[in-house]
Amino acid sequence: MTEKIDLSRTYAPSDDVVVREIEGEIVIVPLTSGIGDVEDECFTFDEWGRAVWSKIDGSRPLETVVQELLDEYDAPAGLLKGEVVGLLQELYERRMIVDKG
Amino acid sequence: MAEGFVIRRPLPEFGLWEKMADGRAVFSFDFEATARCNLDCRHCYINRPAGDKAAKTRELGVDEVGRIGAEAAARGAVWCLITGGEPLLRNDFFDLYQALLSKGLLLSLFTNATLVTDEHVRFFKKFPPRDIEVTVYGVTRETYERVTRTPGSFEAFMRGLDRLLGSGVTIRLKAMALRSNKHEIAAIGDFCRARTKDYYRFDPHLHFRFDRDEARNTAIRAERLSPREVARLERLDPERFGALKAACGDLLPADPPPGSHVPECRHIFRCGVGQRSFVIGPEGYLRPCLSLHHPDFLYDLRKGSLTDAWQRFLPKVLARESDRAEYLERCGKCPLVNLCLWCPAHAYLETGALDRPVDDFCRIAEARAEALKSG
Repeated sequence: MTEKIDLSRTYAPSDDVVVREIEGEIVIVPLTSGIGDVEDECFTFDEWGRAVWSKIDGSRPLETVVQELLDEYDAPAGLLKGEVVGLLQELYERRMIVDKG
Repeated sequence: MAEGFVIRRPLPEFGLWEKMADGRAVFSFDFEATARCNLDCRHCYINRPAGDKAAKTRELGVDEVGRIGAEAAARGAVWCLITGGEPLLRNDFFDLYQALLSKGLLLSLFTNATLVTDEHVRFFKKFPPRDIEVTVYGVTRETYERVTRTPGSFEAFMRGLDRLLGSGVTIRLKAMALRSNKHEIAAIGDFCRARTKDYYRFDPHLHFRFDRDEARNTAIRAERLSPREVARLERLDPERFGALKAACGDLLPADPPPGSHVPECRHIFRCGVGQRSFVIGPEGYLRPCLSLHHPDFLYDLRKGSLTDAWQRFLPKVLARESDRAEYLERCGKCPLVNLCLWCPAHAYLETGALDRPVDDFCRIAEARAEALKSG
């Protein structure tokens, strides 16, 4: 799965994962095989990843999400955009998000 | 900003583990999907016949299980063990499993493997549990079916186990040590270790029946190994003995000095029960632990909520104290408590009282202490 993340497209959490907040920590639980070593591993985010994830809900294009983050974070636009795209690329390759068009 | 993006970590390294350890919080629960079983093992503490219509009628439905699973997840539960009886007897097993999985719970499954079909394997490949544990009652037809009292069960077990082992899912094997298979325990250990790289463990402690069926309890009593046999079996298993030694060896007192004083404790629950987990029975009764079936400790989740059970009911009932002199003088001050099977749940199953000492347990603790001292 090597498709590039497109800022004009909308992304949403995949049905193959459940994302939970437990004791203040985000935990991504794979439901189906092939996402992680289900026995031993789960996934989580740092604070930054969590902020991005909270906005990936299938309601708006990624460029809107980037703009919202720019409004909230004091960071150079190019750097922030690169971080968001990098994160979503990884999530997409892990089948944790889907392209909603 | 982050150097990495998604953080992939083994479960034990999650910070939430430590956070949850700081206070009382739901971590896991066991769900007994049914008390029914297709086998009729001599030592079983719970099984009802597979065709028991009354038991089947009372079992929680998929919607009820989904509701309870959602409540548990909302309270922070991470892990759910689906057990029985034999869970695969449920015609709606796949739906039950999905109802829990969809709440983001990590699932484990206990099964005797005799009912595993190719359809189960396809399902588990697609929706893998964290692990599946299978009990090995014997490695020959004669021994296996002497324990299960079910003709044809050995073949079904071998077929089902082979399917599971070929599925790629983590399979863990374990055994019960009873008089009917004692002669095969070493061979069972070899059988298990040859088939899975994961741990193998055996359990020599046969609980009495939860339904207090006296005829069945007599049969269970007859299957129990003597304290010396239990200690000897544990001594022969380097892994188990090493673990016992590591956990309890340092706690063994040298012969206590005359007149030494062990502080008195009137609380009967000293094991941390109800602090991290609970059990949900087939009919929706929440209880603090698997073995505790005293009516005072059952909370009907069909009539109340898991939140009420966890926040109000469990702390109240688990604060119970004892005034029974026999308990306070013996168990309450016993230096071998860490080697002993005694707990209020087991005491109730053995004696009908939550706070009565159990002589057989004393003998096992003494035999273990002897083995550790000489070992």
